[in-house]
Amino acid sequence: MRYHVAGQSHRGAVRESNQDVVGWRISHSGDHALLVVADGMGGHQGGEVASRIAVDAVMESLGPEIAEASPYISDKAIRDNLDRAFELANERIVSRRANDPRLEKMGTTLVVAWVSGNQAHIAHIGDSRCYSLSGNQALCLTRDDTVVQNMLEDGSITAADVPNVPFRNVLTRAVGAAEQADPSYRCETLEEGGVLLLCSDGLTDSVPESRWLEILKESDGMERTVQALIDAGLANEAGDNVSVVLLKLEY
Amino acid sequence: MASLSQLVDNVVVNTFELGQPETRIGRRPDNDIQIDEISVSGQHALIEAVPNAYLEGTVDYYITDSNSTNGTFVNELRVGGRQRLNSNDMVRIGWNEFRFIDEEEQALEKTAYILD
Repeated sequence: MRYHVAGQSHRGAVRESNQDVVGWRISHSGDHALLVVADGMGGHQGGEVASRIAVDAVMESLGPEIAEASPYISDKAIRDNLDRAFELANERIVSRRANDPRLEKMGTTLVVAWVSGNQAHIAHIGDSRCYSLSGNQALCLTRDDTVVQNMLEDGSITAADVPNVPFRNVLTRAVGAAEQADPSYRCETLEEGGVLLLCSDGLTDSVPESRWLEILKESDGMERTVQALIDAGLANEAGDNVSVVLLKLEY
Repeated sequence: MASLSQLVDNVVVNTFELGQPETRIGRRPDNDIQIDEISVSGQHALIEAVPNAYLEGTVDYYITDSNSTNGTFVNELRVGGRQRLNSNDMVRIGWNEFRFIDEEEQALEKTAYILD
């Protein structure tokens, strides 16, 4: 079994700064992988700081765990580790906010996947997403923490309304915005040849999911696939930062 | 508060405040907004003002056609179910044109907790 991982973050076609941060790591033994995407908010400076703190906290907290993890680590241990990483990211952002009035409104989305064998453990807060891509299907594994998502689910609005709703970018939860981080969690089995995709909303807003699957088929290797996804976003004048991390499982 | 401005040849001829939880529009005199014009049904459409359950201090406005004969349109698309209105939407009741304005919504875009 082997993981092929690649990722990239681009400031997009319009924005002057990049408030997205991505990260990934594969264990020495090759049977664990860690993927991270964060999309910061709270003004020009705050957004960049929050997403950077979050990804650093995750890599610092989980990097050594991943590097040394036994192939027999329990699902519960993985989940506890993910919770701790979110807690650390949250604490650091909260305390940095408290000490610097310019960063008062900062926070970040955070989506983390710990892949162990063929199991993907996904923890998440905000509207950066994790997808499972296989064959002709792009399955979203995370539920956006947004006002819009709540309104879609209760039937107040339809998908066609989303681009016009003025608060379409308002999150109901963010890392650094509450006393405690309480990430959503799920575990998903990856098939052979299956691909896990983590992204910021810059990708979902600029490139339709159906196109991702075509790009995946057309491109050779993970690096080129990531590049092609970013290029597709830029070709569609991506108004936001575009970030992607991909993992492919091969036997 | 939001309002509905009636337009004739792109000129505002009348503005109705949408201050109540429900505003009924139609030809009959018992409507909150009465439009005495042949293309308008007795009871034509309903606009509801509903506090947003997920975003404190925000009110959403929804329009529903009340089985009118000539239809209710938002930006020239016929309203099927219950549809949320956005500021500056053009609302047509039969042949009568209105612009929906929500000042609060315009303010929200600047102040809310928004990802950027």
